[in-house]
Amino acid sequence: MVFSTPYFLFLYLCVVLLVYYITPLKLRNLALLILNLIFYGWGEPVYILIMFASIGIDYTHGMLVTRCKNKGNIRGAKMAVASSVIFNLALLFFFKYWDFIAGNVNALAGFELMKVLGHPLPIGISFYTFQTMSYTIDVYRGDARTQKNIITFGTFVTLFPQLIAGPIIKYKDLDEQLESRTHTVDKFASGVQRFTVGLAKKVLLANAIGQLWDVYKATPTAQLTTLGAWLGVLAFSFQLYFDFSGYSDMAIGLGRMLGFEFLENFNYPYLSKSATEFWRRWHISLGSWFREYLYFPLGGSRVKPARMVFNLLVVWAATGIWHGASWNFLLWGMFYFVLLVVEKLFLLRRLEKLPGWLGHIYGLFLVLIGWTIFAVEDLGQLGGYLKAMFGFGAGLLDGAFLYNFFNYLPILVIAGVASTPLAANLWKKLPEKVWKVALPVVMLAGLVLATAYLVDGTYNPFLYFRF
Amino acid sequence: MSKKYSTFITVLFCVFIFGFCGWLLWDMAHPRDFSEQENRWLAQMPEPKIGRLEFPGLMNGTNGGNFFSGEFMEDFEDFVVDQFPLRDQWIHLKAQSERLLGKKENNKVYFSGDGQTLFAFFNPPAADDLQKRVGYVNSLAGNVEVPVYFSLVPDKSYVWADKLPANAPNVDDGSMNEAAKQLAGENVNFIDLYGALSGDDVFYRTDHHWTTMGAYQGYAALADGMNGSVTVLDYGPTKVSDSFYGTTWSSAGAGWVRPDEMYTWVPEGTLNVTGYPEGKPVEGTLYDLSKLEVKDKYSMFLGGNQPLCILRNPAVEGGKKLLVVRDSYTDSLAPFLGLDYGEVHLWDLRYNNMSLKQYVADNGIDQVLVLYSASNFSSDANLFKLGI
Repeated sequence: MVFSTPYFLFLYLCVVLLVYYITPLKLRNLALLILNLIFYGWGEPVYILIMFASIGIDYTHGMLVTRCKNKGNIRGAKMAVASSVIFNLALLFFFKYWDFIAGNVNALAGFELMKVLGHPLPIGISFYTFQTMSYTIDVYRGDARTQKNIITFGTFVTLFPQLIAGPIIKYKDLDEQLESRTHTVDKFASGVQRFTVGLAKKVLLANAIGQLWDVYKATPTAQLTTLGAWLGVLAFSFQLYFDFSGYSDMAIGLGRMLGFEFLENFNYPYLSKSATEFWRRWHISLGSWFREYLYFPLGGSRVKPARMVFNLLVVWAATGIWHGASWNFLLWGMFYFVLLVVEKLFLLRRLEKLPGWLGHIYGLFLVLIGWTIFAVEDLGQLGGYLKAMFGFGAGLLDGAFLYNFFNYLPILVIAGVASTPLAANLWKKLPEKVWKVALPVVMLAGLVLATAYLVDGTYNPFLYFRF
Repeated sequence: MSKKYSTFITVLFCVFIFGFCGWLLWDMAHPRDFSEQENRWLAQMPEPKIGRLEFPGLMNGTNGGNFFSGEFMEDFEDFVVDQFPLRDQWIHLKAQSERLLGKKENNKVYFSGDGQTLFAFFNPPAADDLQKRVGYVNSLAGNVEVPVYFSLVPDKSYVWADKLPANAPNVDDGSMNEAAKQLAGENVNFIDLYGALSGDDVFYRTDHHWTTMGAYQGYAALADGMNGSVTVLDYGPTKVSDSFYGTTWSSAGAGWVRPDEMYTWVPEGTLNVTGYPEGKPVEGTLYDLSKLEVKDKYSMFLGGNQPLCILRNPAVEGGKKLLVVRDSYTDSLAPFLGLDYGEVHLWDLRYNNMSLKQYVADNGIDQVLVLYSASNFSSDANLFKLGI
């Protein structure tokens, strides 16, 4: 199930709130576990089995690691961690990468060496395999307690607000909240606001601007004009940001309604003045996961420069391919690898001396090129699209560009402003009397409009599902 | 934020979602069957069938029932969305807010500057596809012994281009008509309608069809092309409805648009109409006014789509016989054509698998007209039957 649907908002969420708050405190994790499983199994009921397997295996491995450590058997503990990592990666590999590898291997071999399986991708698998993997590793490192209660552990693995599109939450960040969390009306009300903001971002901004990107995605590259190509990728950038950060907002908001406090996942990424800064502001929970569980174990930056470059190569290849089983995602990862190495080695120091506006142009330019590689999956088409962006297309502009530009101008302006802290800062400056009246009005308007768009829209794909 | 204020926000949110939840549940218990606005049957509560869970492959095996495959949930979602309270009003609200946001389109429909005229997106076929389609007309002309005429009704966006948003891309710019004219074979008489229509009343503002007046202008050009003479009517059209909301209006959800007027023109009784809705002859009428009571008011013309319909003119006994390969645009045109011919046969390729060539020979047809709207000609999947 996804959040931005009438049946989530007006049926599932109502059931969740009702059941959750009726249930006595001690049984709330159990209630939540059951509700989570319904949420997950809604689209692909069979895949609930993956959830059961994940809970069972990661729970046992956590226990195993602790037992080995208690007995002083470090080798055994290491084996247990390795086995858990292998299980999670195998799960991810089987569902997400098997067909991609099979397709390429078969193309190389010229006959069917590996069978293409064609399983639908279990939603959120990239997110929850990473979450559960971090659990055993943290238990081994002594960063997290072992969870002895399988229901509590299951609640963590399946927690519906962030199950299918993040933020990626580490067990150690949630441990105490799983055991006991406070449910206050303040928290609930702030959750409501955050959820509404996220819903509006997703439904009113991302979906609307996504239609503009759909136009350019469908345009044959031979007919792409330079300005049209830039407008298209600008639209995609807004769509992706509001889609994904809207989802994170909804997750954080829903979490608060249930008494949880999740970490932030975005911090106005399009304000970045460099690629390095962008990755500190975009999908923060993924970046920090890779830092903590891949980059640092490899040695991080405290090694010889050549080794550091190698470490970055590994991390960015992994980051790229994590986003999807396709060559363009690997290419996209490599794009950031090169940029981050160059920036780390010398560019960043020089960039800092530039005037601010020039830094923003540099940052935004790179981000847009990056999203082009990300958005156009077919490498041949990608070449054509990039060519058009750099002036080797069907001219500078055409009538369709003018139409699209003016048709989407108001919403592009709104999206541009919404990508900055401007509105939030203005809101904070409002006198209490004003915002106290404005808040319920804005909130209701957001909910009503979002409902109108939801009911209208069969157009409602959540972009971050495939990842 | 004070606790009191937080409670207020919490209550507000809960009233909103629980309020609609209750209303939705009520509507689900008393479901609507049909949506007038969308002109379609609405989804109903699916019947759950658990079935067995099997694993012939590794994970993707389900057998029997609609539960483990997820079909039940999908159907249930459709049900919820279709039965959602105030569904039509939500759709109008969305269209209205798109318009307020400066958008010149909604759900693949363009708005005119004043918002009162709606244009469905027009997507011409690719060059090779068009060649194939015109090729079917050419093979019909090669198949039959009588003259074959071919004509395309221009899309509203061509005739009323001045009302479109500036630079709107998905429109009929006339190039398809030009290409079709070039592709038409030597033994096909192409009649160009693209210059024939003009005026503010030739199309419905809310529907893709031409109006009775537009159809008359089309008739004049066709009659001139086929016979060199045009019957001029010495009486005007009669208004029979002022509450027609067409299909373009339905897809746009444009609640602010005024309804269209509908007119009849040729007096009832001038022509004898025989319809064949189910294969057997049934007496019909030129204008079935009972259809004005339903949503699809355009079906007033000849009572709507049917495989075959024959108009006979007692005043031109023994006159020529015309066969029109039709789409729905022909229904409002046919009464005018009927004035000039002894018989006009309206042949719908969609519902006929008989050989057209055979029918033309068996019924002593003198002329064949292939008449499609540009958009139907671009998309109809039955044109190949012209060549059979």
